[in-house]
Amino acid sequence: MNGQRIVALAWKEWREIIRDRLFFALAFVVPAMLMLLFGFGLTLDVENLPFAVVDYDKTAASRDYAYRFISSRYFAFQGYAADEHDVDALLADNQVRMVLVIPPRFDERLGRGEPAPVQVLIDGTFPERTQTSMGYVAAINSAVSLDNMAHALSRGRGIPLAEARQRVQPVKLEVRYLYNQSVKSIWSLAPKLIMLIMMLSPPFLTAVGVVREKESGSIFNIYSSTVSPGEFLLGKLAPYVAISIANAMFLWLLATWLFGSPFKGDPLFFAFATVLYVICTTGIGLVISMLVQTQVAAMIVASIVSIIPAVLYSGVLLPLPSLSPAASMLAHALPPMYYTNIVVGCFLKAVSWHALWVEVLVLAAYAVGLFGLGYLLFTKRPKA
Amino acid sequence: MAATAIRVEGFTKRYGKRLAADGLALTVQRGEIYGLVGADGAGKSSLMKAVAGVLAHDGGTVEVFGTVIDSERAAEKVKQRIGFLPQGLGLNLYPDLSIEENVDFFGRLRGVPGAELAERKNMLLGMTRLDAFRNRPMRQLSGGMKQKLGLVCTLIHEPELVILDEPTTGVDPVSRRDFWAILGKLLEEKGITALVSTAYLDEADRFHRVSLFHEGKVMGEGTPAELIARVPGTLALFRAEPQADALPRLKAQFPQTEAMGAWLRVFAEGLDAAQARAAVDTCLATSAPASTAIQVTEWFDREPELEDVFVAMLRQRGARLDTSLPADAPAAAPTSTLAIEATGLTRVFGDFRAADAVSFAVPQGEIFGLLGANGAGKTTVIKMLTGILKPSSGSGRVAGADMRSAGLAIKERIGYMSQAFSLYHDLSVVENIRLYAGIYGLDDRRARQRSDWVIGMAGLAGFENDAAGRLPMGLRQRLALGCALVHEPRVLFLDEPTSGVDPIGRRMFWDILFHLSRREGVAILVTTHYMSEAEHCDHLALMFAGRVVADASPEAMKQELVTRAGQLLELRVDRPVPAQNALRDAGFANVALHGRAVHLLSRDADTDRKRLPALLDKAGIAVQSVGLRPLSMEDVFVQRITALEDAGRRSP
Repeated sequence: MNGQRIVALAWKEWREIIRDRLFFALAFVVPAMLMLLFGFGLTLDVENLPFAVVDYDKTAASRDYAYRFISSRYFAFQGYAADEHDVDALLADNQVRMVLVIPPRFDERLGRGEPAPVQVLIDGTFPERTQTSMGYVAAINSAVSLDNMAHALSRGRGIPLAEARQRVQPVKLEVRYLYNQSVKSIWSLAPKLIMLIMMLSPPFLTAVGVVREKESGSIFNIYSSTVSPGEFLLGKLAPYVAISIANAMFLWLLATWLFGSPFKGDPLFFAFATVLYVICTTGIGLVISMLVQTQVAAMIVASIVSIIPAVLYSGVLLPLPSLSPAASMLAHALPPMYYTNIVVGCFLKAVSWHALWVEVLVLAAYAVGLFGLGYLLFTKRPKA
Repeated sequence: MAATAIRVEGFTKRYGKRLAADGLALTVQRGEIYGLVGADGAGKSSLMKAVAGVLAHDGGTVEVFGTVIDSERAAEKVKQRIGFLPQGLGLNLYPDLSIEENVDFFGRLRGVPGAELAERKNMLLGMTRLDAFRNRPMRQLSGGMKQKLGLVCTLIHEPELVILDEPTTGVDPVSRRDFWAILGKLLEEKGITALVSTAYLDEADRFHRVSLFHEGKVMGEGTPAELIARVPGTLALFRAEPQADALPRLKAQFPQTEAMGAWLRVFAEGLDAAQARAAVDTCLATSAPASTAIQVTEWFDREPELEDVFVAMLRQRGARLDTSLPADAPAAAPTSTLAIEATGLTRVFGDFRAADAVSFAVPQGEIFGLLGANGAGKTTVIKMLTGILKPSSGSGRVAGADMRSAGLAIKERIGYMSQAFSLYHDLSVVENIRLYAGIYGLDDRRARQRSDWVIGMAGLAGFENDAAGRLPMGLRQRLALGCALVHEPRVLFLDEPTSGVDPIGRRMFWDILFHLSRREGVAILVTTHYMSEAEHCDHLALMFAGRVVADASPEAMKQELVTRAGQLLELRVDRPVPAQNALRDAGFANVALHGRAVHLLSRDADTDRKRLPALLDKAGIAVQSVGLRPLSMEDVFVQRITALEDAGRRSP
């Protein structure tokens, strides 16, 4: 190992990255931009769902019932419609996602103690949203029913309303949300975005950075000199690892300051695990660069190899336990899942070494394995 | 110490199924400038990379400084003693780094200590006259400067052997001469051995010894003079009217007959000068009894050039030069109609003038050459004339139409073959032709007729259903030409049509162009950076930095140079570099090193022939021979540009 050569390689690489406008943007602007776009754009909360009401009854009771929905923060009232035919058009062009149809004699039936059917039409094109909104509708409806029963009981038996309420619902749920008290999806999303972006950016940068030397022919300067493969890899990749670590730190700032995610864990542990993860994803780029010959191929392979595991098999969108056995096996075979556990643990759960040492160990094994593979694949006397 | 630097035996290299090098053998002595001469795909690069230890080969022995290169470990042992410049102008340099940063990087990569690095850097940058531009980013350098920077970076660790892969391809002739001068001086001073490849056959005399490469084999090895002596014969240049009738008659007897503008050029193999003259006279007088005898009017004979010998060697190995063009088609009536007319064509990109007030005229039936280095503005001019690019000012008329107002109408009347041979590599030969026929709107019957014509003209019979990408370069080039001719255009534009094609392919290509211009009256505008090819043209325009700096026939240009600067003398000497210096001191301005010989321009050739041996003898240099050499287009080009540059310096 010759330190001077490593420094020469790293210094040259650094200046090229800084001076090439496209590469500079790719290295320093794109990660932060992705964080902002995903952070503001990708929310899994269902709120302000537009809806309309068809009220055939037009009584105080029906208006009262509809008002329960109108006053909810989960629904955004778009107005009353005259009949069901009018709402078809509204549903079809996405002006409303849900329609509440209150039939005639709603008030009368309630008064008689008969069942009073109410129809709900929900747009089912997006199953996640449909199920969540169905849950909201059921919850509001059962709250109304319980309230009505409590009022009836209170009137009938002459007992106070509060007591009547208690009788109607003998078992009362007391929910406390742990780690993410207000159940804000951005709190858990922002840390996971660090995982996602640090899975995309380093392999892309590294693979393109190495392969463009192959494509231009400047790799022959390396081949024909006495630089050892180890020196070359160290010097060439050090700037990419350094840039990615800086990016990870910046994304951490965005997550905590801009998106307000709490960071409850041990900063030192988190920094250590993040450096390990960045080395690991840089290693993915290195292996790709050894296997392809052109920048276009490097970009395509890097995108596929990083986006799919980072999005589908990491636990960002889908909780891991709900994956199929095969998908779950795949998730366990890839690094993003382990780092997801680390970011979620560090940000929201305040856990450290004792809970996450397996994850750290797996990432370390990956880093060593990928760099080892890259080292073995690199030859200064290739066949073509 | 062993005198052998490189020894190669039975060298074989395959890429997949393709055999790139087939049993190559050569030996390079220490201190030699050794040349590998051949077309693209001849196997030069594979061999050079294997010698540099950056490519694993499949068979044979490669030995460098006594070390057999058979593994990465073995290659590492000699790499510090080697400098390697890969193919592609400036491609191995770092475009975002400045000249100085590039040199520093190479120096540090090679572990050159700081003080030595600074000293060598100053020396090399001074010698290459790059020191004024130390801080300029490499991407803003001209082709010639990139080439010199590449050389500096390759030499920064003072290797004992430099391997330079096509360092002069695509560089303008002035920079090329400069490059050879610097290289010669450095190698001489440091006693460095050099292995250099080139695609230009006329550069062979820059080397001490050369190997001629063709399709993965070595055709011959030796000094350029030895190689030329291997196929005895006479090269004759003469006029014979009508030229178009004389050519086929001569070709029947002398396969190596070419039309060069208004001249005919015949290599009479195995004949001395008198025999050659007699044979040509007889052939022209009697070979066709029905037609009239043709008289030879002007006659020059001399020793053949390396290219003639190379083609003869390939013919001995079975290569054929004949195309199936109808020899008896009536000659086109000479017309004075202008096919192409450029008037003050200018194109500005930002503050860069890619073409600057370019004017010329091409009559119907003429082959017009636009000559210049990469980046001189040739392609820009063609693009403006074909209506692909709008001129910033000036105008061009093609086939009688103004190209700005009649872009579409023009395209029906012109054929265009681009640098990249715009063929679809996955389509077969016939599919490519049919595609172009479809693009030009030919009906089914005509498309079939023209398709047959193209296959016959290009010698593609038997290859009809082969994918275009798998054809050899020469055939691919003729197919591209056929596609550009499918709609029988009256005007043909060819942009660098012969880049990378071997001499046989180039000859057949020019035969076809000659036939088109003389028999069918097509006007042809061709761009090239091969100075030797320019002599095929009837008329030439030299382009330099976006401007036309000369516009005349090749003969007139050479004549003008003789009257202005003198005739070309070649001195074979024992020590060329000191001889060059001594001649410069004696007041000769244009002294150039060519392998073991020195070339100079002499205003009084007869006197100088007599006095120069004595002059050099005083400096302790033995002169083996002094002879008159014909001027080449490259000489013309270099003189023109240097004169212009001098004028520019005097009145800025």
